[in-house]
This record gives sequence, C-alpha cells and structure tokens, in this order.
Amino acid sequence: MSLIHLEDVKKSYSNIGMVTQVLKGVTLKISEGEYVAIIGPSGAGKSTLMAIMGCLGRPTSGSYYLDGEPVDRMNDKQLSRIRNEKIGFVFQAFHLLAGVSAFDNVYLPLVYCQTPPADARIRVREILEKVGLGERMSHSPGKLSGGEQQRVTIARALINQPKIILADEPTGNLDSKNGAEIMEIFDRLNAEGNTIILITHDPKVAARAHRTIHIIDGLIEKDEINENFPEPDPGAERTRA
Amino acid sequence: MRIFRNLIQALKGLGRNKANVFLMTLGVAVGIASLTVIVAIGEGTRAKVLDRIAGFGFGPESFSLYAGSGRLFFRKAQMPTNLSFQDLEDIASLPTVRHAMPRQRKRLIAVYRKNSTSTRIYGVTPVWQTIRAWPITDGKFFDARDMDRKNKAAVLGATPIKNLFPDGEDPLGKSVRIGNVFFKVVGVLEKKGLTESGYDPDNRVLIPISTSVARLTHEAHLHSIKVQAMSPEVVEETMEATRRILRRNHNLSSIAADDFRFVTPTGIMEWVTEQKQAMNRMLILISTVSLLVGGIVIMNIMLVSIRERIHEIGVRRCFGARRLDITQQFLFESVFVSMLGGIVGTVLGVVVSLILKRTDMIPVQITWEPFVLAGIFSGAVGLVFGIQPARKAANWSPEETIR
Ligand SMILES: Nc1ncnc2c1ncn2[C@@H]1O[C@H](COP(=O)(O)OP(=O)(O)OP(=O)(O)O)[C@@H](O)[C@H]1O
Ligand SMILES: [Mg+2]
Repeated sequence: MSLIHLEDVKKSYSNIGMVTQVLKGVTLKISEGEYVAIIGPSGAGKSTLMAIMGCLGRPTSGSYYLDGEPVDRMNDKQLSRIRNEKIGFVFQAFHLLAGVSAFDNVYLPLVYCQTPPADARIRVREILEKVGLGERMSHSPGKLSGGEQQRVTIARALINQPKIILADEPTGNLDSKNGAEIMEIFDRLNAEGNTIILITHDPKVAARAHRTIHIIDGLIEKDEINENFPEPDPGAERTRA
Repeated sequence: MRIFRNLIQALKGLGRNKANVFLMTLGVAVGIASLTVIVAIGEGTRAKVLDRIAGFGFGPESFSLYAGSGRLFFRKAQMPTNLSFQDLEDIASLPTVRHAMPRQRKRLIAVYRKNSTSTRIYGVTPVWQTIRAWPITDGKFFDARDMDRKNKAAVLGATPIKNLFPDGEDPLGKSVRIGNVFFKVVGVLEKKGLTESGYDPDNRVLIPISTSVARLTHEAHLHSIKVQAMSPEVVEETMEATRRILRRNHNLSSIAADDFRFVTPTGIMEWVTEQKQAMNRMLILISTVSLLVGGIVIMNIMLVSIRERIHEIGVRRCFGARRLDITQQFLFESVFVSMLGGIVGTVLGVVVSLILKRTDMIPVQITWEPFVLAGIFSGAVGLVFGIQPARKAANWSPEETIR
C-alpha cells in the first residue's frame, strides 16, 4: 500500500470569474521510506501539489489517499489532525513564528496534538540538539542565521515524528554551504527511514533523491528513478527521529 | 487540555503584541471606569436621601407639611411665607389630629466664649420630643412655660456641644450666643452619629418657636408643620382635610396649584423608587454606550491584529491547529484583554470616586455592584466583539495564509 496515492488530481483557482487550472490531472504513488524530488519550472504547480499532499488544501477534483485514508473527504478537524501527526513541513521561507524562541517554535506542533507527551520539553531540547542548535534554543528567528532558522524548521517538522516530510525548496534561501548541511540532514533522515518529498530547482539537490518527478504546466512530465541512489534496504526498520 | 493550551498560546500572543493590548485595555477601561464612577455617585446620592429619610423620624401615623409648592424637600419658590400659625391652629383642631407641631428653621453661628460653630437652629414646641422620641442625656427639654414666656432656652445636639465645649465643660446653664441673642443651655440631645453619606443629625439646636419668632427670625410664618394623626388609617383623610384648610386659608382658586407640599414616608419611598429607576435607565444607557465604544475598539484592533498575524495563523494551521483552536486563541485574547480593561477601569473608577469623595462636592458611595458589573460586562464585551475577528482568523485557508 502506498503512503501517498493521488488519482487524477486537479486543482484550479478562480479569482473574480477567472479560473486558473493549476494541476491538470496528477496521478502519483509514493511509498513509505521513499526520497522524492519534485522539479519543474516556476509556476508549474509544484507548491500547489505539495499543499494538497500536505492536506493544506483540497483538490478541486480527483482523489487522494494518505496512508490508506480518503483525505479529500475529511473535515477540518480530521485534516488538522493529519497535518499534526503525519506531516512535517519545511519551507523555503522558513515560516517560523516571529518573536518566538526556537524552543517554542519547535514546540508548536505539540500544542495541537491529541495528547502531548509527558516528556515534551525534553524531546524539544533533544531534537534541537540533534540539529545543532542546543545553544540557541531561546533565540527568536530574528537572531538566527538562515541556516540556523532552517534547522529550527526541520526540528519543528520532526518533533511529532511524522510519516512524511514535505520540503518546499528548503535550500532556496541558503548559501551553498548551509544548503549542503541541510541536505545532509535530509539524507540522514531518509537513511533512518523517513519518507521525504522535496521540491527543488537545483538539479544537484534533486540528484540526492532516489526518485525525481518532473512537473510541467500542471502535469507529470517524467517520473524517473535515480540509478546512482543506493537502493533502500527493504528490511530496514523505520527508526523514529 | 487542548483549550488550556490555546489559552496559554493566547497569553503568549498578547505578550508579543503589547501595544495592541495597551490600546484595547484602554478602550474598555475608560468605559468601565465611567461606569464605576456613575454607580458610585448614584449610590452616594441615594444613600444621602435615604439617610435624610431615616433622620426624619417618621412613623406611619405622621406626615409633614412644608411651605411652598414643589415636591418633598424640593420647593419651587424661594422662602415661601404662606404657612401661618392660623394654619397650624386649624390643623390642630381637626378631630383626627393628635399633635401638630410648627417648625422654623435657620442656619446661624453659635458662640460660646472663644468657640463658635455654624449650626441649624430649629424653633419647635415641646411636643417635638414626643414626636421624635429623641432622648435627652443631660438636663431637660424646654416646656410650655418656656414657650409662654418666650424664654431663651436651648437644647443642643452633640455636635454644637462638642464644638462649643471642647474641654468637656458642663454645658448646662451656660450662656451661648446664637445670632445676636444669648440662650441658656437647658438640655443636651443624645448623640446619633454621622450617617453613612456624611449627614450630621446631631448638628442642631432646638429653641421654643415663640422665642424664635420674637427674637431670632422676627418672622411669623412657619417653615413646616409636622402632623401626627390619631392612627395610620386616618393619615390619608387628615391630609385631605389639611389640604382643604390650607387652600381655604390661602385663598387659592380652584385652578391654582397648592402652595404647600406634603412629605410622607410613602411619598419619599415612591420618590426614591422613581429616582432609582431613572438612575438605572441612565446607567444602562451610559454603560451601553461606553461598553459599545470599548467593544468596537477591541473589535477593530483585533481585526487589524489578525491581519498582521495572518502568517502566524497559517503556520499554526500547518502544524495542526484546527479552526476551533484559532477561534479559541483569539477569543481568549479578546476576552482576557477586555477583562484586563475591566480591572484597570474599576481601579481607575474607584480612585476617581475616592477623589470626588475627598472634595466633598458630590456624594459618593462605593459598593460591590460595579465590580461584578465590570467583570460580567467586560468579559461579555470581549466575547461578543471578539467572536467576529476570531472566526475570521480561523476561516482563512492555511494554504492561502502561508503562501
Ligand atoms: N490562490 C491562487 N489563485 C490563483 N492562482 C494561483 C493561486 N495560487 C497559485 N496560483 C497559480 O498557480 C500556479 C502554480 O503555482 P505554484 O505555487 O504551485 O507554482 P510552483 O511550481 O511552486 O512555482 P515556484 O517554483 O515559482 O514556486 C502559478 O501560476 C500561480 O500563479
Ligand atoms: Mg513553489
């Protein structure tokens, strides 16, 4: 069973009578543990696709099964719960809460989970240490460098041990050194068994994934396996972050 | 508890938006403060009136008759001169009247040696003591002989005693100058003490009305007449008879209004009730307006604030916040801020009320009602005016807000 299964998903926006068709029928399956890069020209609909996969918006038509559940028929409460439990977002623009410490930013998903773990604060601390920010937990985003901010967002994405990490151009705002460091974190997370879907413009970044999906003008143009990628060991236990 | 976590998020959110918190708090605080002051003034006025009534010493079989048209203690004309001893005599001869007591009244300076004090001088008859049932602690009340001889005898209340004889000297038999006349102190009234609104019933001096007419006021008209009927049942009838006598004595045509007025316990109670209702109406109006203003301030600032915080809302939604969570967070913010405004406003109002009380110009009484009102109303304002911004915040799609 696929973790993500999109079937003929279409998405259009209508503004003042004008209808823009952004996704024109996307069918896509992604299994657990995959490392997928989505590339394509600007405006092709990559972010729109990610928003649908991340349950931030609903497709206009088509169906979407996440972990076997029909997401397109869920209400706000159920969708929020899925976002909270199964998905971790990483954005190009970081989208951290301004004026809020790194610690509280990472804690955010725990505010909205069903039952916060008893060791929530310890977990936040550990995960920040893991991404190398043990010394900067009380800093607000304004006092952190771009690379550090992106590491905070990764810690935030991981705190609830999601099944899928969705990253929209995570290195887009970073210099090559910081970008490389972030990509190493993703590589490691995938090696540990996490499913990673990342959108990128950078072919070098895409080359690290084991599968590349090309989107052009709202349709999947090409879906190819990267031969250089070490085959994931099917027997490997998915270790939690 | 999820709702509790949203409350904490709300408080943290407020901590990051202090300027907005200040403005919203101020908006509500002004309304609540004015509400508190108005209630305090209203209560103070009411307490003062009630004090006056209590100080009147009315029984159910008594009523008072005041010179001049008007209502209760509020006469229309300046110093009416139409109530006469003839009126008194005619009323006293009614079969249903037990006592009719005339009264003259004047505020004068009383002097003993180097001490002087301003006090209210009442010219009355010895019946006063029977009607008022006010005990004498020292000496005795003046009697019919003092009346006949127009003796310069005075019964002093506790306040002039204290002011004129501060060293504890025995006042009985001492000669006290009132106006330009020397009176001999024959008796001392029992002390009643200040009433809550600051009215001093002990600040009075009683003298025979005959002496008052002949030596002090040099006027033959009366300030008022106090009538004690045979029983409470005949009060109504006695008042009617009194009215007929006075209208005849004063030659009032059938269309002319009374040039006198009755003061009765029921009349006073009716008046108090009316005043209370009028005050409540005014209170409701003013508090509605001020709270509306506070509410609109809150609503507008919240609307601006959520627009500034679209990004925050989107981020929260991305990581699992439901619509309900966002609604709760923003409602908590507006209710909390509003109640904070309620507290600040109450404190402000109490401070202003106490200052007013100090100045002694306006009667003020602080009661518990404004605190309860402030709590309820400020909370309600935050809830009512916060709901729209909160729902608006919750209804943005996460996809749009994060773009
Ligand atoms: N709310 C909206 N209303 C109308 N059009 C929209 C809306 N959101 C997105 N679009 C349009 O949909 C198209 C796809 O947008 P999307 O953000 O998915 O592109 P993208 O592939 O992520 O591009 P980029 O690489 O620049 O991020 C764009 O042309 C965009 O203008
Ligand atoms: Mg994009």
